[in-house]
Amino acid sequence: MILPLDLILLLFVVITGIAALQIKDLLGATIILGSFSFFMCLIYTEMGAVDVAFTEACVGAGVGTVLFIAAVHKTKRRSKD
Amino acid sequence: MKVFALLTVIITGVMLVYGAEDFPKWGDPNQPGSVHVAPRYTQGTYIEAGTPNIVTSVVADYRGYDTMGETTVIFTAGMACILMLRKKKRGEGESNV
Amino acid sequence: MFEYIVSKYNYWVYIFLMMLGLYGMIGKKNLVKKLIGMNIFQVAIILFYISIGSKVGASIPILTAEDLHGSANPLHYMNPLPHVLMLTAIVVGIATTGVALGIIIMVYNRYKTLAEDEILEIRKKSGV
Repeated sequence: MILPLDLILLLFVVITGIAALQIKDLLGATIILGSFSFFMCLIYTEMGAVDVAFTEACVGAGVGTVLFIAAVHKTKRRSKD
Repeated sequence: MKVFALLTVIITGVMLVYGAEDFPKWGDPNQPGSVHVAPRYTQGTYIEAGTPNIVTSVVADYRGYDTMGETTVIFTAGMACILMLRKKKRGEGESNV
Repeated sequence: MFEYIVSKYNYWVYIFLMMLGLYGMIGKKNLVKKLIGMNIFQVAIILFYISIGSKVGASIPILTAEDLHGSANPLHYMNPLPHVLMLTAIVVGIATTGVALGIIIMVYNRYKTLAEDEILEIRKKSGV
């Protein structure tokens, strides 16, 4: 537990979360969601949950991003909101 | 619609902030979640399960049935994806696609 | 008051992420955006559980060599139980995301659009 590092990481998480919801390009939103997952992984490591952190890094950020990109590739990339 | 969504979200947030009053402080060692069964896992992991990693021994030994149910869930999800996304043969399944 | 806010800062962040995910699920029209909101909501819950499991001054939940034979002090190791539950929750969450993306692809194949209001328009026009 290092308080300044924790606060900086939580700030990054909030910023990437807002950006993932607001970007109109769905591919960009997906990539930003992947970076959101990686920042969450850093927070888990920092809180002492190493097993959760590497599960999140390979399953949440890796496989999740791949699934999202495959779905966006099969459908439309533009979004109106 | 946007106003309705914002209203719902703000009401939910106020209720959550009200509920956060009863939560333990961050990192409190004597909070209710950490005193009941977790010390037994911490002390007995190497004697009973033979691995120093507590999380691994709880996942695979103490709560193995939970992990087996999780495997069933993932298998069901995979089967559902295969059934939804396979290429249809001619004359089969005109109802969707 | 200030001390109260600082002592529970992780709860405020998780509440904010939960509100963000809920707004994404309700307020956005695009189906993929709704799914992104659901992911954020789920991550907020996982963050809540992980922060319940942490203790001040404790280490990661792997026993050191001198603590192996039952002499471990629980105050020196994080609470492993929320970690285990969230390990399950992450994997099941990815499975539900996969099924939801499959359903989204089927919806796109049928209606050629992903916006919720356009889908409702098409359904109303065709009289379903």
